[in-house]
Formats: sequence, C-alpha cells, structure tokens
Amino acid sequence: MAFLEISGVTKHFGPDAGAAVDDFSLSIERGEFISFLGPSGCGKTTTLRVVAGFEQASAGSVHINGVDVSSVPANRRNVGMVFQAYALFPNMTVAENVGFGLRVAGQPAALIQARVAVMLELIRLPDYARRYPHQLSGGQQQRVALARALAVQPQLLLLDEPLSALDAKIRIELRSEIRRIQQELKLTTIYVTHDQEEALSLSDRIVVMNMGRIEQVGTPFEIYNYPRTAFTASFVGHLNLLPVQVTDAATGACTFEGTPLASSQPAPNKQAGSARLAIRPEELVLNGTGANRLSGRVLSVNFLGNVVRLRVRVGAVELSVDMFNERKLVLPAVDAQVVLSFPAHACWLMD
Amino acid sequence: MLASLWNYLGVLPFFAFIIAFLIFPATNLFAGAFQDAKGNFTLVNIQGLFSPYILKAYRTSLEVSLITSVSGGVLGFFVAYAITMGAAPRWVRSSLLTFSGLAANFGGVPLAFAFIATMGRTGFVTAILKSICYSAADASQVCPFDPYKAGFSLYSTVGLAVTYTYFQFPLMVLVITPAIEGLKREWREAAENLGASAWQYWWLIGFPVLLPSILGATLLLFGSAFGAYATAQALTGGSILLVTIVIGQQIRGDVLGDTNLGYALALGMVVVMAFCIALYALLDRRASRWLRR
Repeated sequence: MAFLEISGVTKHFGPDAGAAVDDFSLSIERGEFISFLGPSGCGKTTTLRVVAGFEQASAGSVHINGVDVSSVPANRRNVGMVFQAYALFPNMTVAENVGFGLRVAGQPAALIQARVAVMLELIRLPDYARRYPHQLSGGQQQRVALARALAVQPQLLLLDEPLSALDAKIRIELRSEIRRIQQELKLTTIYVTHDQEEALSLSDRIVVMNMGRIEQVGTPFEIYNYPRTAFTASFVGHLNLLPVQVTDAATGACTFEGTPLASSQPAPNKQAGSARLAIRPEELVLNGTGANRLSGRVLSVNFLGNVVRLRVRVGAVELSVDMFNERKLVLPAVDAQVVLSFPAHACWLMD
Repeated sequence: MLASLWNYLGVLPFFAFIIAFLIFPATNLFAGAFQDAKGNFTLVNIQGLFSPYILKAYRTSLEVSLITSVSGGVLGFFVAYAITMGAAPRWVRSSLLTFSGLAANFGGVPLAFAFIATMGRTGFVTAILKSICYSAADASQVCPFDPYKAGFSLYSTVGLAVTYTYFQFPLMVLVITPAIEGLKREWREAAENLGASAWQYWWLIGFPVLLPSILGATLLLFGSAFGAYATAQALTGGSILLVTIVIGQQIRGDVLGDTNLGYALALGMVVVMAFCIALYALLDRRASRWLRR
C-alpha cells in the first residue's frame, strides 16, 4: 500500500446535490509532490478537505501510512495545511503562530522556542518573530503559514491554492521556495491549484480533474505532451484545433480544407469522418520544413518577452503560433502570407 | 478651496445641532452644578452628591447597569453566536435580527407597560405560573411556580433588570453579530488542523479576537442602561431610586426640587461615564494591541 491511499472517495453536499467528487482513487508515494489541477468547482479542494478531515466523504476511504483515517477528526490527523486566504491568527505574533501547534500539544516552552527558530530560518524570515500578521506582506504571511503547518512535523502537507492571492512575481518566487522546502524535508505534499504553470513547474505528478472526476494522472511532461482527454489537452497549455476529415483512421491521415495532413497516432474512434487535429502553438514553425504544411495570413503579432505569439488565419480557422524570442528574430508583418509547418509526431487526432 | 468647502456643507446642520443641543446645554449644566438658585458660586450641590440618599441612587443605578449589561451581553452573545456560527436556519437569523433591531429601540413607557401586563402582579404570565398547582399529601394546594410568592417582584431592582434585559440583549446581538461574522472559517480550520480542540480555538483565538468588540459592546450596554429613565419611572413609579429618577425629581419643578442639585447629579453621571470610557479605553488597548502595533 502506498503512503497515502485515497480509495473511491465520493462527496455529495446534500442528498439531491450532484457529486462534488466522484469516485476519486489515487496512490501517493512517500515524498511525492502531487498537484490537483482543474477549473474552479472541479472537486480538487473538496478532495483535499476530505484528506485533511474537514469534510466527511460520502463514500470511500483515506489511508495515511497504512492507517484508515476516514473517521479520525481533523485535529488528530497530523496533516499540515496551508490555506488560500492568509489564515494566520491575527492576535498572535509570527512566533506564536508558528508555535501554535506545539503549544496546543502541550510541548515545553523551550522546545517550542527552538523549533520556531528553526522554522523561521527555513522560511528565511528569522527576524520577524515578534511581528503581527497585519505587519507582513501577503507573501511573508504565506511563508509563515507554511512554517506553522510544518512546525508540528506533519506526515502530509496540504496546500490549498496557497499562491493565488499573491502578485505574479511573489508567486513565482514562493513557488520555488515551496518546492525547495518540500525537497529538503522530503515531505509528501498535495498542492491544489487552477494554475497550470504552477502545477507543471512544481509537481512530480499532476492529477487533472474536471467535474469531480480524475481526467488524467501523469508527470508534467506526460500531461502536457500526451494529454489523454480533450479536457486535459485544452486545459493544460494552449491548443490549436483544426476541423479535419479523417481519410485513414489507422495511420491518422486526414485532410484540412483539401490539404492532406499526417499525424502519428490512429484516430481515437478508429473510423474515418470528421475529427479535430490538435497541435500546440510552439510546434508550428514559420516557413519551416515539417511534413505538414499550411499557408495563411498573419492577423496579429504579440510580443510577450521571451515568446512572440502570432495569430494566423488558415482557411476558416485562426491558429496561434509561438516562437522563441531572440535578438535577430525578424517578426513577420501583419497581413503577410506565411507557411506554417509541423511534423506528423507533433499533432494528434481528437473526437 | 471654495468648491471643497461646498462639498462639506452637509455637516453644517450637524454642527449647529451639536452646538445648540449638546455643547451649550452641557456647559450650562456644568456651570449650574456649581451655582445656587440665585446664580452664586457654591459647592453645596457637589457636597449634596455625597448624601446617603444620593449615593444609594448611584449605587442602584450602577448595579442595574452592570447586571443588565453583563446579563444582556452574555445572552446577546450566545444568540449572535447561534445565528452566525451555529448555522441556524436563514429565517431564524433574519427574524432574530429584525426583532433585535426593533427591541433594542423599544424602551420607555410601552416596554414598562408590556412587562406589567405580562410579569406584573396580575400579569398574564404571572397568572399562568400561579395556576400551575397540585394537591400535596395533606390535601393543601401547592403552587410551586408562583413568582411573587417566591420573592420575585417586577417593581424591584431584579424586575427592573429583567425589563432592561429586553432591550439590552438585542442591542448586544446587533453590535456583536458583525464581529462574530468577522471570525474567519480558516482560523478555526487552521487551529483544528494544528491539533487544537474547539475549546482551545475559542480560548486562544476566537475570544481574544472578539474581546475588543465585546468590551465596546458592553460599554454601550452599560451606557444605555445607566441613562435609561422612562422605563424605570413608568415601571416603578419612581419607587426605585435611580440617578435618572432623582434628577427627574429635582428638575420637575415641584416644591422639593432643587434644579442645581439636578445639574450636579447629571454632572456626576457624566463623570461616571467618563470613568467607564477611560476604563474601556485602557482595557481595549490591551485587548487589541495586536491590531495597533
């Protein structure tokens, strides 16, 4: 049995309500960093709250380290949690917040003090012990919240969208901080987010969720490059979809407005007819040598810094094309005629 | 400059009102407390405050105010807790809040009359309680719930306290409900997550966070009871001597009245309230130091 075993967890809020979480099963190994990724209302937070013990599952069970905790109250699970809104206790200093878990456990003051010092060192805020939460920035508050959750040495760390209330810059900084601390402590961690970039950059494995169900579980590389469902493909990363006619279901050959295109995988429903051909913007190359070629007209050029994003009209559809910026890059003009090419292995057919 | 002054014009009536009906009378009152009937300076009125009769009135007023602000405060707190954290049904919540809005402002003669009609010597609640009787072993009638036989009287300090509670606890509900709603669910969950019991959460977080609001609300309750006049006057006909009732006796202009002593009494009330506010400020400073630093 894996370190954390979530088996068939289902959650209904009220007898008539649909399932917020529907038959969720997942095994998580010790030390793994797992992200639950999905749009709001997909059940990711509810699943996390079931693991934390704040919600009672309608069906299914949660085992931590071989122990069934399904009926263990939240305050006995020894599971650390960091909330989205800064949930620091406003009437306590940073040190008191961090030491709270040890204090309610009746630990001696000297031990608490020592542990708090270690924790503040870990989050790199050693000089903030005597501050009150309202004197800290959002990012600092979340660091303290992390330290508070870690101070009790939880067997599991749960993070519920911990960065979504922060500025973009702090978000990126803190996210690598979270990963560093997690690696340092080798802590089994579940991270809930709707931000694919966070999930992709932090996780060992990502669980993509939609409407209470698991869409796909895999490494960031697998999730991004080999999405198994249309939902995963479109939710994670940007995706171009071309309406095509499948000409050979077995080889994945098709035509788009008369232009023959090759893909590397067979059509998902194994038959000819209309389907959609999926291709990531960064796989489309301007005037390149790929096997598949489409000509179009540039609609717009957006300079985003490290990436330049073009919108190109090809027949009846608009495609996004991403290219890496470099100093010698020559940007195409708006209204210029271009040829987009991409290799067969870069695209796949979807229903 | 002129344009911005124009924008502030709305406060003009307010200041005119305050000057005419607060600053001016208060100055008058202060001066009057140190004057005799002819307008000469004297300390006799202040001396008069320390007569046993008047000291007793202050004591009764303080007692009634303290008892009702604490009892109303505690009762109101639990009602507010029930309709917020206790997840009472929506209709209970909205009807309780509406009731509180009404009852907190329901005082004076109508309130006194309502209580006389229910809990008075011949009130209908008294009558119902009186009628609960059974026959004892020796065939005599025993009525264990007769409130007046048990020593209760609506026309006593206790009766007055019960009556005041009627507007005290709704006031508490109105004032404290927003504060309780301000307690974040995450605080509770974070505490629970860190191993705290519900009791530990309340003792270490919930109560300390609410304390400044509770102190402020209690002061408000104290003030509203301390200054109440009509309810007590109508309920007891002036038989319970509160400071406000004694003031009424002095300034009503009957033969026994001494207007300047009335001024001095009012000044004494101002001093008591000022003391209470100072005490509040001191306690609040301690209770909310985490907010200020």
